[in-house]
Amino acid sequence: MDPIEVRSLFKSFTVKEGPVFRKTSKTVSALEGVSFEVKKGEIFGLLGPNGAGKTTTIKTICTLIQPSSGEVYVNGHDVVKDSQRARQDLGVMLTGDRTLYWKLTGRENLEYFAALYHMDRAEAKERIHSLLKLVGLEERQDTLVENYSTGMRMRLSFVKGILHNPPVVLLDEPTMSLDPQSARLIREIIQDLRRDGHAILLTTHYMEEADQLSDRVAVIDHGKIIALAPPRELKETVMKSEVIEIEAQNIDPQIVEKLKGIANISEVVSSIEDASSLRGLIKVHSTDGKNAIPDMLGVLVKGGVEVSNLKIATPTLEDVFISLTGRALRD
Amino acid sequence: MTRLEYTLDPLRAIFKKEVRRLIRYPGEMVFVFLIPYFLTGLVMAMGISVGGASAFGNFAAQTGSSLNPFVFLMIGTGVWMVSWVIMEGIGTLLREEQMKGTLEQNFLAPINRFLLLVGTALSQIVITSLLFVGVVAVSVLLLAPQGALGLLVAFGILMIGLIPLFGIGFVFAALVVRFKEPYAFTQTMNVLFGVLAGAFYNVTVLPSWVRVVSAAIPQSIVIQDMRLAVESVGSIVGAFGSLIALLTMGLVYPVLGYYFFKQFERRAKISGDLSKF
Repeated sequence: MDPIEVRSLFKSFTVKEGPVFRKTSKTVSALEGVSFEVKKGEIFGLLGPNGAGKTTTIKTICTLIQPSSGEVYVNGHDVVKDSQRARQDLGVMLTGDRTLYWKLTGRENLEYFAALYHMDRAEAKERIHSLLKLVGLEERQDTLVENYSTGMRMRLSFVKGILHNPPVVLLDEPTMSLDPQSARLIREIIQDLRRDGHAILLTTHYMEEADQLSDRVAVIDHGKIIALAPPRELKETVMKSEVIEIEAQNIDPQIVEKLKGIANISEVVSSIEDASSLRGLIKVHSTDGKNAIPDMLGVLVKGGVEVSNLKIATPTLEDVFISLTGRALRD
Repeated sequence: MTRLEYTLDPLRAIFKKEVRRLIRYPGEMVFVFLIPYFLTGLVMAMGISVGGASAFGNFAAQTGSSLNPFVFLMIGTGVWMVSWVIMEGIGTLLREEQMKGTLEQNFLAPINRFLLLVGTALSQIVITSLLFVGVVAVSVLLLAPQGALGLLVAFGILMIGLIPLFGIGFVFAALVVRFKEPYAFTQTMNVLFGVLAGAFYNVTVLPSWVRVVSAAIPQSIVIQDMRLAVESVGSIVGAFGSLIALLTMGLVYPVLGYYFFKQFERRAKISGDLSKF
């Protein structure tokens, strides 16, 4: 049995809506038949936009949420029937820096969680010391967490997740809010964990990170896995198209939509980075990109969109998602 | 690691973490020590302004107690404050941890999740003991030193009374997370407990139907029996029945608390409530 096995996982929630005395209930489906497995010594990336079901999947694996149906096994332990043993074999880092006690020091936080994970006190002391040194928090170990920077809290939170050296590690956005140097350090540690044989499930918004780290990637959207393969294979599915990236100002969604009418253009998505100037990025997938460029520029310029840069780019995992769903990951 | 260590180690860690938290919010500690003195002073001043020169005599006649009125009130307000601190400490614990984001982290650990409440409850023994010394013991030793021996018995009664009180705290903890209104609920109940437990008077002044409700809360018995113990150690023998009632509550209420907690846990796993504010 693989360290993580997820079989036909379904999860729906009941949501109440409406004014206080006239609330109505409706059922929202978060996961619809999700299946995958993570092998020993593998980094498995889970990609998808907000609300796609990534966090629900992770929270079900780590026993915080009970599935509506389906089976999940962690190191052979059923997460519903044998949840305590499953949790012992799991290390989890959930998103955000509010996963620690701010009125305790970094070391006290780790000592606390080491005891909750039944670590031997002497062994825990040694492990805490080496992990704090590894992430550069050794000198701040006796400082209250409330005085840590966001990046320091994220590093401590990461260390907390791998403290008891669990065979299975779940990482939800482990490098979010980290400076490039710290993010690189965390990525190196994740790769070391893989080398040591840990099974790692990773969610991230950073496509390059997922691409660089993951042995396999599952793309999840509306609670369903719509693609699952190594990153290179996924990118090969869009290799036959060219990806044209257009940086522009005054982006008008209606004008962007008109690009779809040009021959050989399969997908068009845009994202706005600055709402006041409507500055952002338009991504176009085309089977004949070079010849489509003049027509595209014509439509954009005529529509008042100010193009500042245009390039033909190498497909990324984001392009895989666009090609599968017609939407950008951050839509 | 033995089976006992497997349970006790996390419990010790939760206890230690809570004690550290208490120490690092020193203002809260000062507050709980001062309030009984302020409340007692307030009630004394009101009593004297209403009863004048005969206020103390009337008080003794109405309460049937020969205790110094200040000591009588300090025992009441001291226990009330213990009850207040426990309801705040345990009753709002899950909700506070939920809002801080640490509840999920505790629920990720391979422990019986009820230990989180039990460990916190144990940490309340520290603050309860300090409150007993700083409020009850100080006033007895200064104003009614003949009751010094009874202080030991009173402390024992307080400790027994903590068990059902923890049970009520566990029920509150589950309800607070369910309704997401920690302060509205606990503050209302704390004030109600003050009325029902007879912190400022003897419960015999209450209407008979209210006395029935009053008898069902451990604080009432603890206050009455602690006053009796300080007044005369021997008289506590006559209160044997109330101690049996307190011990029965100590068995029933924690079980009730565990049941409510399990309901909360089951519901949270289905609805994903742990991270919903």
